[in-house]
Amino acid sequence: MVKPIELKNVRKVFSHPMKVWTKIESVKDLSFSMEQGEIIGFVGHNGAGKTTTIKMIMGFIRPTSGEISVFGKKPGDREVKSKIGFLPERPYFYSELTAMEVLKYFGKLSGLSGRILADKAENVLKKVGLFDDRNRKLASYSKGMLQRIGLAQAIIHDPELVIMDEPMSGLDPIGRKEVKDIIRGLKRDGKSVIFSSHILSDIENLSDRVLIIEHGKLKSFGSLHEIIRPEDVRYTIEFSCDKSMKDAVFALFDGVRIVSDRFVLDCADISDFNSKLAEVVAKGYTVLNAAGSYPSLEEIVFKEIREEENGQR
Amino acid sequence: MDSVKRIANVSFYTFLEMVRSKVLYILLFFALFIFALGIGITQMTIGNVQDIISDIGLGTIEIFSTVLSIFLGISLVHKELSLKTLHPLLARPIARPEYILGKFFGMVLLIVVEIFVMCIIFAILLTVFGGFSRFFGYMPAVYTIFLQTCTVISVAVLCSTLTEPAVAAMLTISFYLIGATSYNLVYAITSRTSDFVKNVVTTLRYVLPDFSHFNIKDNLVYGRGLEGLSLGFASVYALLIIVIVLSLAVMFFNNKEIS
Ligand SMILES: Nc1ncnc2c1ncn2[C@@H]1O[C@H](COP(=O)(O)OP(=O)(O)OP(=O)(O)O)[C@@H](O)[C@H]1O
Ligand SMILES: [Mg+2]
Repeated sequence: MVKPIELKNVRKVFSHPMKVWTKIESVKDLSFSMEQGEIIGFVGHNGAGKTTTIKMIMGFIRPTSGEISVFGKKPGDREVKSKIGFLPERPYFYSELTAMEVLKYFGKLSGLSGRILADKAENVLKKVGLFDDRNRKLASYSKGMLQRIGLAQAIIHDPELVIMDEPMSGLDPIGRKEVKDIIRGLKRDGKSVIFSSHILSDIENLSDRVLIIEHGKLKSFGSLHEIIRPEDVRYTIEFSCDKSMKDAVFALFDGVRIVSDRFVLDCADISDFNSKLAEVVAKGYTVLNAAGSYPSLEEIVFKEIREEENGQR
Repeated sequence: MDSVKRIANVSFYTFLEMVRSKVLYILLFFALFIFALGIGITQMTIGNVQDIISDIGLGTIEIFSTVLSIFLGISLVHKELSLKTLHPLLARPIARPEYILGKFFGMVLLIVVEIFVMCIIFAILLTVFGGFSRFFGYMPAVYTIFLQTCTVISVAVLCSTLTEPAVAAMLTISFYLIGATSYNLVYAITSRTSDFVKNVVTTLRYVLPDFSHFNIKDNLVYGRGLEGLSLGFASVYALLIIVIVLSLAVMFFNNKEIS
């Protein structure tokens, strides 16, 4: 089956907007491919190259080198675009038109018309919570409302592939939940979704695979479990604390901490964990909790950034 | 066929956006002001009142159409680029040339409506001064004004895809001024210089836009008839300019980085 998105060794070099002789390499040798029906969360710090990558996939800008195919064709191809729904970063629409008019405009361009278009426009407006404001000019819309209309136009034509650049930005908590529900709904219907976000818990929640880029380079790509390395799992032992035991415990274990009513012992790895646990039990302390915990995506990303920076220094 | 539909779509909503913008009404007010000023002048000058009203009426239609197409045309594409309304639009299954043509025809549609409204006002004025019978005789002049304005729009669209509004305005105004003066300029130069300069300038004449092909309003107002000017030729001439200029616009826009 043809892949919704495939990038091979893609590079993008911009010339500096002020100093044309200075080059900015925004994306460096990026390769990845998307499977039909999956949700990819796209992560990377500000300026990492997410938006640039998305613009290349959409055919707005051309890669300096490398190859991109979308449903087996060149990005920007008219036929290909009919299968795509796109939400730009900080979307903005014609301020003199109403939400309904914009949806009809875009719906018509996607080949919808008549009763079907009217129904879909109405449906999608309800879905993003703008139905009551549908006849207001977009000039009077708030940032979050523009984000919502952006979302509405991205899904009105039932696209096979939805590409969203920061879909949750500018939304209130309810709006964020609605977006998450929409993304889950798309997956249920067998659509493929790639979205970028800085809210890592959202990415963690929604994505089948996470794509992390750093300074335009692919950092890691896989499911959360694949991304987490064995050394990233954190093992801790917690046991009950009595003031009188304090000196003895501190003498026994290096780096033990007191957190409210208990001692907390961090272990380097699984064998360290096992031996320390045996020792704690042997001493007759009451173990309250002993577990290995997976780090959140947030911690992974931060750790990778730290490592990268340390490596550079 | 679908392509025509998409172009028509872009045109319609481009038109709708512009019709609702305040700039349009400020300019319309300005045009009415000129009309009124013209009437004031007729009270102070000697000559046939109906001639003067006709002259001012058609002149205002021409100038106002030109100002409007330059004013709105130069930001037509650039505004969409800088506000980024272009991205969600170009994400739809539409080809870039279709988008450019849609923008062009949207502006043309606006000018058609504007000329129509101005003509109604003009007709009322003529009626007030007892000259309504002349009105339909002026339609060929209105038509050539429309043709000329369409060439200006095409240039504005081209400039709008290339550069920012201030520069685009300068370029489009230059196009208009060259078009409006090239005939007289060439005539003035060729009548009093060496053969070499004469040859250069006559050649240049075929390259430079020449709005004298559209200038039939004086002939009509002062009852001289078309005098060898042809509506057919004017149409073909306008079409030629528009096709060349829009082809350039499409070429540039096709390769443009929409970032
Ligand atoms: N048109 C352009 N001209 C020059 N440089 C550009 C252009 N567009 C992007 N860049 C540069 O490319 C780099 C990547 O930008 P990009 O917008 O892709 O980042 P991002 O990952 O989307 O960041 P954010 O999270 O802030 O949205 C940045 O250094 C940016 O300055
Ligand atoms: Mg971005």
